[in-house]
Amino acid sequence: MTMLQVQNLRKEFDGIKAVDDISFTIDENSIVALVGSNGSGKTTAFNLISGFMKPDEGKIFLAGKDITFLNPFRIARLGIGRTFQNIRLFPQISILDNVMLGLSYETGERFSAALLQTKRMKREEADNVKKAEELLDFVGLSEKRDSPAENLSHGQRKLLELARILALEPKIFLLDEPIAGLFPEAKRTMLGLIQALKKKGRTILFIEHDLNSVMDAAEKIIVLNYGKKIAEGTPQEIGQNKEVLKVYLGKESL
Amino acid sequence: MEYLIHILIIAGIYTILSLSLNLIVGYTGLAALGHIAFACIGAYTSSLLALNFGISPWMGLIVGAILASILGAIVAYPSLRLKGDYLALATFGLGVIVYSIAKNWVSLTRGPMGLPGIPSFSIFGYQISNAWSYLILVLLFVFLTYIVIKNITNSPFGRILKGIREDEIASLAMGKNVNKHKLIVFIVGAFFAGIAGSLYAHYISFIDPSSFTVMESITVLLMVVFGGMASLKGSFVGAFLLVILPELLRFLGMPSSVAAPLRQMIYGLLLVILMIWRPQGLMGKYKFK
Amino acid sequence: MILQLLINGFVTGFIYVLICLGFAAIYKLIKAFHFAHGVVYALGAYLGYTFFILLSINPLISFFLSIALAALLGIAVDRFVYYPLRKHKASNLVFLIASFGVFIFIQNLIQLIFGAQILTLRTGPIREGHHILGAVITDTQILIIISSLVLFLLTWLLIQKTKLGKAIRAVADDPVGARVAGINSEKIITAVFAIGSALAGAAGILISLETNIEPTMGFSAILKGIIASIIGGIGSIPGALFGGLFLGLAENLGIWQIQAGWKDAIAFVILILFLLFRPSGIMGVKTEKEKL
Repeated sequence: MTMLQVQNLRKEFDGIKAVDDISFTIDENSIVALVGSNGSGKTTAFNLISGFMKPDEGKIFLAGKDITFLNPFRIARLGIGRTFQNIRLFPQISILDNVMLGLSYETGERFSAALLQTKRMKREEADNVKKAEELLDFVGLSEKRDSPAENLSHGQRKLLELARILALEPKIFLLDEPIAGLFPEAKRTMLGLIQALKKKGRTILFIEHDLNSVMDAAEKIIVLNYGKKIAEGTPQEIGQNKEVLKVYLGKESL
Repeated sequence: MEYLIHILIIAGIYTILSLSLNLIVGYTGLAALGHIAFACIGAYTSSLLALNFGISPWMGLIVGAILASILGAIVAYPSLRLKGDYLALATFGLGVIVYSIAKNWVSLTRGPMGLPGIPSFSIFGYQISNAWSYLILVLLFVFLTYIVIKNITNSPFGRILKGIREDEIASLAMGKNVNKHKLIVFIVGAFFAGIAGSLYAHYISFIDPSSFTVMESITVLLMVVFGGMASLKGSFVGAFLLVILPELLRFLGMPSSVAAPLRQMIYGLLLVILMIWRPQGLMGKYKFK
Repeated sequence: MILQLLINGFVTGFIYVLICLGFAAIYKLIKAFHFAHGVVYALGAYLGYTFFILLSINPLISFFLSIALAALLGIAVDRFVYYPLRKHKASNLVFLIASFGVFIFIQNLIQLIFGAQILTLRTGPIREGHHILGAVITDTQILIIISSLVLFLLTWLLIQKTKLGKAIRAVADDPVGARVAGINSEKIITAVFAIGSALAGAAGILISLETNIEPTMGFSAILKGIIASIIGGIGSIPGALFGGLFLGLAENLGIWQIQAGWKDAIAFVILILFLLFRPSGIMGVKTEKEKL
């Protein structure tokens, strides 16, 4: 089944075509990498898909539903969980609270529930605390449960971001440079987690600027350059693609 | 002794103001600099209803609070589009606008001449004119305000507010309807500020625009920041200390021509010191950002 | 009649230009609202009063002493309040609140020292002005317009033609690049505070030749300065000229329709509309949008 479909997206800033007629599909339960150098349009594509920017032209479908012009929070609720290139956490509140904010409530998050301190709210809250603790366990951050998020190391922040996204239980994960700035061992951990997610049936689309890193990690690679899609295929196909080699030759060898 | 009761009543009224502003600024991180405008609406509504139509102060209090919360909803709109210092300027401006209306719409508010003879509350026919009983009334409202705001913030809803303060975009990415939450906190915050305004009016029995200047808004903000962002206990402390301060100055025998500017100088200095060295205030867990 | 209002409009307008110039230049460099600029303006007036009226010092010397001290105040505010905040990487909002604090502190310090009563720089009898085409323009008004114009041109020349000016523009447009080129941005910031504050002080003295001096004069002034900056486009010199004159003319031309008491409120309505719908002003630089 097609989880995400992007059709003819265009977005221009100050005369520069950040995203220039891009189309692709992401199948359910696949791991796809969106690759390209800085300025190739990857993050803009993410912003468009997650609703933080609106396209000048084109459409976006999530599991068949047109989400092109919806509010970003609605898109998040419909099932897109995204991370940010410069990691957006909630710095001064605890890690646990950070994860709790990703979990869903039936009625517990309502103003009325808060005002009246309903039993329902307290029950949902207790359940969610348990779920949040499990998630922190999964990413290995249980010990830091009550620390403010700003006290974490870079690698720990990436893990927390992942835990928060997991809490959302999204239909598709949009990870913006999940392994950037990590030491090799942390990189392996993160990529391992991504594989584990795939085994659990999740769909993952992630951004990476280093083509080499994704050759083993992704099942499909989409390559962008100056806002245009120049290639799409399996790692093997990409490795032999002339366009891609032209762009990357001189930068790195495959 | 009567004097002490008077101080406590004023401190109580300011506590309601600082608790309600803390919800907006401390928990949700919205730079609202015109809070006293809501109190102004509450005070004038309640007073005018009582003076012109003989409406009971209890009813006036509620109507005033509702009108104040309508203004709150209006003020929420800029908060959806403006951030940080731009929002601060806009809300500051709204405070000036409400003050100007109070001062210049003379046919309604009697402008600088003010409204004298505002009646006090009464229960079962007995007027609450004695200081002790008014104190009890105010303390009841302080308690009510505290409980409501404590409940709101101590909940999943409250956690969302903190998330908004920490990072709006991340909150959106987590599926939170940020705009709706901003609207709600402004409405609730304005509502209680309106109550504070009415309590003030019916206590002092005379109001004029000079009680509702932008300086007053900054004083309330100072109480919140000084006491501690998102610390309800801090709002009590902040309000209490900053009400006591001018009284202490007067106690030291200074003439009002010295005490008045000196008090403001201390407020100004305190703001600078807090911003540079202690943005979390006395008891806050979060830094003012 | 119109001519009279135009004259009054230009006088007020040029004062606003001087305030706006300093404010906008400072904004361009530190990207924060220097609200306390208003109190530098007020201090200029009070210093002028102290030197010229109280100490009977020669008017020209009084003028230069006053603006020099005003410049010092501006530098002090930056050094003791803004610089630490820059070190802490504080947000714009924190700058603004701290700036409010400074404003309140100094305005009340002025009131403590000089009292709340109204003072004036005017000496001697009120002289009749010159009649031109049915309107009257006094010597004072001519002085204000010419002085302001001269100060504006001097500032413009400084920014456009001197080495210092080039350095200022470099730091404003590209702080990182400027540092790489070896320019000490802190020194430049100090220079801009000095210049901007001197202009504000000058504005304070000039306006006091026409109107009264009182401790709260800074509030209205900075309010106008901010509005003029935002209308004209914050961080732009031609924008400051446009915004200041526009505001001055608008105020005076509309005066017969709007009561004086509403002026502040109207000014803020204009400000809020611009903030909401056109924050980059008529001519200004695009404000930094939050990056995703």
